[in-house]
Amino acid sequence: MIDPVSIITDSWNYLIVICLMMGGLFIVISQNNLVKKLVGLAIFQTSVFLFYITVGKMAGGTAPILLDSADVAYSNPLPHVLILTAIVVGVATTALGLALVLRIHAAFGSIEDDEVLTIKAEAALPRVTRAASETDSEARS
Amino acid sequence: MRDNPVLRTCAKILFAPIIVFGLYVQFHGDYSPGGGFQAGVIIAAAFILHALIFGLEAGRRLVPQWLNLALLAAGVLLYGGVGVAGMSMGGLYLDYNVLLPDPSAGQHVGIILVEFGVGLTVTAVMLALFHAFAGFNPERFGDETSDEADHSRGGS
Repeated sequence: MIDPVSIITDSWNYLIVICLMMGGLFIVISQNNLVKKLVGLAIFQTSVFLFYITVGKMAGGTAPILLDSADVAYSNPLPHVLILTAIVVGVATTALGLALVLRIHAAFGSIEDDEVLTIKAEAALPRVTRAASETDSEARS
Repeated sequence: MRDNPVLRTCAKILFAPIIVFGLYVQFHGDYSPGGGFQAGVIIAAAFILHALIFGLEAGRRLVPQWLNLALLAAGVLLYGGVGVAGMSMGGLYLDYNVLLPDPSAGQHVGIILVEFGVGLTVTAVMLALFHAFAGFNPERFGDETSDEADHSRGGS
């Protein structure tokens, strides 16, 4: 019989990972603001870091330095090194994303996803159609 | 924010302790949690705080762009230089054991030098990113994009 309390107390770090990951994913797909999307992406990324660290950490394990005593448990250093690299890559991707957002703001005057798409769709219309729609809107107004 | 006495005083008081804490994290990285990446971000935070409170121009006077770029390259050079030094002294790339006659002391020297290079580069990159974003001038791109838009309209 699985005790629900023991699930929470034994694997609360996995629960935190799940909450962070789903929260970040929800922000990415629900927000229109591009900067908020990037924040959601960063939260998602953090949950993956936390997951790898949790898997690599051993309770009572030390740093993997050669010691004289035989019965020493080491934490697995590979996930830690992997995540150290991933954090640095994460900073670089965040900077790249923010640079793209700045560029989009300079080009379209907006960082809302739907507004940018509307402006792009209007700009992509052929000239005749656009002229017709403009005269239509002028006639209506 | 330049006129707020509370912020100005706090920034002046905090600036040096943040850098000292960054150096502590930097040089204890081989034994305890810490190292070049974390220390670099902490030290960069001190300079970013200074630039936020006293203005971008003051931040650029403190760390001019040429110095920023030079530090950025110097960190990578130090990292690669330690690796090549190990090779030139008969070891492998980034082989610290051959750096000094005593392999244990060589490990210490090597890891501290490499971490110092990492810290230098991370500090400089963080500062460069901050100044690139904070000093972004949309007008530099505004004309160009309107030209592009005109061009695409003419072509369609």
